Amino acid sequence: MKELKKIKIVIAGPFAAGKTQFINTVSEIKTVATERKTSAAVEKNVKDYTTVAMDFGKIKIDDENELYLFGTPGQSRFDFMWEILGEGALGIVVLVDSTDPKTFHEARRIINFFQSRFPVPIVVGANKQDLPNAWSADDVKFALDISDDEGIPVIPLSAKEKEDVKKTLLMLLEIIRMGIEGG
Amino acid sequence: MALTGDLTTFNFADILQVLAKDKKSGVLLVEWKDMIVAYYVREGELVFARPVDKVFRVYTDRNFEQLIHKLRIKMEDIYKTIDRFFLPRLGQKEGIFSFTPGFIKFDSEVPVYYPVEELIMRASRLLTPEEVERKISEELLIFEKSPDADAKSSKVKLTEEEKKILSLVNGNRTVADIRKDAGMDKLTVDRSLYGFLAAGIIRRKRKERVQKPFITLDLLAKIVEKIKQL
Repeated sequence: MKELKKIKIVIAGPFAAGKTQFINTVSEIKTVATERKTSAAVEKNVKDYTTVAMDFGKIKIDDENELYLFGTPGQSRFDFMWEILGEGALGIVVLVDSTDPKTFHEARRIINFFQSRFPVPIVVGANKQDLPNAWSADDVKFALDISDDEGIPVIPLSAKEKEDVKKTLLMLLEIIRMGIEGG
Repeated sequence: MALTGDLTTFNFADILQVLAKDKKSGVLLVEWKDMIVAYYVREGELVFARPVDKVFRVYTDRNFEQLIHKLRIKMEDIYKTIDRFFLPRLGQKEGIFSFTPGFIKFDSEVPVYYPVEELIMRASRLLTPEEVERKISEELLIFEKSPDADAKSSKVKLTEEEKKILSLVNGNRTVADIRKDAGMDKLTVDRSLYGFLAAGIIRRKRKERVQKPFITLDLLAKIVEKIKQL
């Protein structure tokens, strides 16, 4: 049986940014998750389970190709996984919890990491826009120090909404297309 | 949309940066442990500070000139409220902030005694090592001066140390190089870089190296079509 070619997009972001939800929303398979109960008290206040190695979802493109969405663990003590997951990625989506400014600096650190190791297209998803205290995508962009010439769009979304997740992925793919055409 | 957060994790340099970048107008309310202060912001500049016993009082005065008149403060003296209720609190890290855009009406020009770039630098000088590490997180980061660096830095009374550090930012030196060449302690250098970055005087240098995508346009078109159909 012919092995399918795997194309990889990485879904990164700080703890509780909504990465697993983002993948679940569009994956054609039940997301393969590696979740464990949160241990730190401050994390328990946010959610009961967290990703400790990676999540992945899959979308079949045709008989020869599959698109994999790999979610990184959000806690910084697992950041060695970013290096592993970033290798060979077509592009990266960095999700940010727009209601939680204390995670914005961590999100910028993640962007810096991927920019320095894997210079592939990046888009930022300003997630949880459905919640009342969400910062606008523009304000998230300013808070993350993303300048216009960095070429990193910040897209407002709710990872629960399929159309929003599709819009984010399509934006990433558009930047990739420009990269191919630009030579 | 309101901007809300906690000063322990999002400090004044960060807040002012967001307000300045978008030239926002409105009221920044900070609930300190001992009092609530309303900071009035016009086009990204902090122009007036007013302690309030009840939050709703802020929202009953929607015209800035009438408010100043009611409080019997001369327009040329409004900066003294910044001296009293903002500058001494830059080192205090505990407080909840929320910014409500737009509801206050500014009829005429309002004097700006402390440009926002100056306030950002003052806030940055008081950052803890932990706070500084949030923005200056890697010693291999490279910064370059922004196109309007001169205009912005001219609004700030830079210290001699800050002037030297700014002169070392050239789009080639890494943070590690600047720390070494400045001959100063790491915290002083990092606080300055943090402030310059928040004030828009410097910016991250974009990586020139971009990896060419390894798939064909045909395959990319298939992926796009598939995503659209999901």
